[in-house]
Amino acid sequence: MTTTDISAPAAGKAGTTPVPKRRPKRESQGPAWVFLSPWVLGAIVLTLLPMAVSLYLSFTDYDLFNPPRWVGLRNYVQMFTEDPRYWRSVMTTLTYVVIAVPLQLALALGVALALKSMKRGKGFYRSAFYAPSLLGASMSIALVWRAIFNDGGTVDNLLGTGGWVNKPGWALLAVALLTVWQFGAPMVIFLAGLQQIPGELYEAAAVDGAGKWRQFLSVTVPMLSPVLFFNLVLQTIQAFQVFTPAFAIGAGKGGPADSTLVYTLYLYDRGFVASHMGYASAMAWVLLIVIGAVTAVLFRTSRSWVFYASEGDR
Amino acid sequence: MPGHRTKGFCASAAALVLCAMLAGCGGPGESVGGGKVVLRYTWWGNPDRAERTEQAVARFEKQHPNVQVQTSFSAYDAYKQKLATQAAGGDAPDVMQLDYRQIDQYASGDVLLDLAKQKAVLRTGEIDPGLLATGRLDGTQYAIPQGRGTETVAYDVKAWKESGVPLPGGSWTWSEWADAMRALAQKTGRPGATDPGQSEDCFEVWLRGQGKSLYTKDGGLGFTAGDLTRWWTFTDELRREGVVSPAEQTTQLDGSVENTPLGRGEAMSDSNWDAPASGYLALIPSGVALAPMPSGEDGTPGQYFKPSMFLGVGASTAHPKEAAQLVDFLINDEEAAHILGATRGIPVNESVREAIEPQLKDFDRTIADYQASLEGSLKDPPQAPPSGDNALQTTFQRDYDQVSYERMSPREAAENYVTEAKAELRS
Repeated sequence: MTTTDISAPAAGKAGTTPVPKRRPKRESQGPAWVFLSPWVLGAIVLTLLPMAVSLYLSFTDYDLFNPPRWVGLRNYVQMFTEDPRYWRSVMTTLTYVVIAVPLQLALALGVALALKSMKRGKGFYRSAFYAPSLLGASMSIALVWRAIFNDGGTVDNLLGTGGWVNKPGWALLAVALLTVWQFGAPMVIFLAGLQQIPGELYEAAAVDGAGKWRQFLSVTVPMLSPVLFFNLVLQTIQAFQVFTPAFAIGAGKGGPADSTLVYTLYLYDRGFVASHMGYASAMAWVLLIVIGAVTAVLFRTSRSWVFYASEGDR
Repeated sequence: MPGHRTKGFCASAAALVLCAMLAGCGGPGESVGGGKVVLRYTWWGNPDRAERTEQAVARFEKQHPNVQVQTSFSAYDAYKQKLATQAAGGDAPDVMQLDYRQIDQYASGDVLLDLAKQKAVLRTGEIDPGLLATGRLDGTQYAIPQGRGTETVAYDVKAWKESGVPLPGGSWTWSEWADAMRALAQKTGRPGATDPGQSEDCFEVWLRGQGKSLYTKDGGLGFTAGDLTRWWTFTDELRREGVVSPAEQTTQLDGSVENTPLGRGEAMSDSNWDAPASGYLALIPSGVALAPMPSGEDGTPGQYFKPSMFLGVGASTAHPKEAAQLVDFLINDEEAAHILGATRGIPVNESVREAIEPQLKDFDRTIADYQASLEGSLKDPPQAPPSGDNALQTTFQRDYDQVSYERMSPREAAENYVTEAKAELRS
């Protein structure tokens, strides 16, 4: 699986400590390595090694019980040319990403804007809206969600829809809504971004006769675009890897009728239910490459719409 | 940090790191609780089975004060996945309950211990040799059958009687069964049964009723897409008429009785194995009775007596002797048999069976009587299914979902399944 922690480089700033008075001697690197060793070992043993093994396994036929058998590119060929369920999982995931990410970001931005101009009770609402992000990733909430949208559940009683999670046309929407509901993290980041926009810009715009909507389009959006971009990249990467809500809502099988069979769920199914670990590893590597490519495309398009305030100085 | 202390500090820090790592690496097999041998014993089942298993295990611990047994259980679907993951990680439980479908894969994957080596503490002399052989692969005894089970139509007696439809008799054909379900649905307004189209087990019974089988002797597919099309056309029509459960309910099946339409109070009957049917009692207190599975139109029975489940010992266990003792206790101890009753099928040890049979009560009695009524009329069980079958059970269900949600015709779905099954069995 890929890492979603693209904020990691920011941690590098902590390394810019004040220049020491005495130059550090060479041997004093020893303690540094000792202190670092748990993390270095962790990175090697828990990240790099498993990745290497997974890459190797993706070229083998491995059923978990018998030793892996080298099959070259067969898993990849099978995936792209012989497996209709694979393509169904790809389409399901893309549909999910296209529904969930824009909805979630719009909601996060909307709530952040409302909270920004709020005079009282800001702290309460901020916590209230953030809470689902803390809870929502858990299995228990996903199960509650399933009960709410189930046949005879709350939504059924209120709207008479007959339960979304049992209808192939609606189940994926229930999964997406569970993600959208967890808009707290991007909301907090939007809120921080909004507070960075200098008030003078709005005053200047108002003087020039810009209304609220014009101010939003001409001041807020460009000034917020780096934050918007950050959230977009982060949420897109996460959306491609959605698993827990689909697992719970689709009863672990991507049901009903494969309508919630997202990519990672199918990967899990191939690996742990059907015992085709080689195939599952190959799927994982394709996912890694696709996420990398999508991120690269997002970065490329960002040049035309993301505006950094410092650019004005150049 | 002052230079002269560096060396000592490095050493101690390194030692700390190593200790932490070693502590993390300690295998669960070697864990010792208060000087006792700790065994992990896992199974699938329902709360009724869990309660009785706990009692039996407590009795075993009393007999073997040096052993402590940690038990855990879950519903079948979840159990299957968890056990596969544990086994693959070399962390199989010391004693594990296994299904007929798992024996081939687990034995050939070296997950299971050769139980013949534990002859001294594990007696098999009183088990029917034919039944015992079902736990053998290439001459090695990898697992011991724990009970004998067969499929059944479990139904809500009170509701059925109130509907005025005649209760099921000694045997019925699939079309007689369908007529009864149709009458029930008309009288009660609720489906008569769980849609059997999603169940590979029901399909097998239907297929055997026509003299065919799921798999050929060499592990290939024993039926054609045409056979499966006919089965799914049959069940699909019943579903469209509202005679069996709608897709929205069928899709919620997960191997537990709680999530069946019968268990949820939304249908009158369910086809299931006889032992787990005891779980319905907690959900339908007014009573559950058992009827045989429908037979072929000429009366050929499709259901069979199957070793209901097995006990195996993990090849990596640190305590093979104690683990074998636990297996021996669960299979051969009369006291254990009294506690366990028929929750895992009728006991395989013949003298234990004779001893407890007259004393069985409640639902255990029902199961024993049901099995006795079939004695001598059923055909031999098929040989153990090939490894790929483990995954195909789920595939079968999923492909039928496409039919019951009307996204594919029975023929399209059947052709899909046959293609997938062939690929699965080849690899």
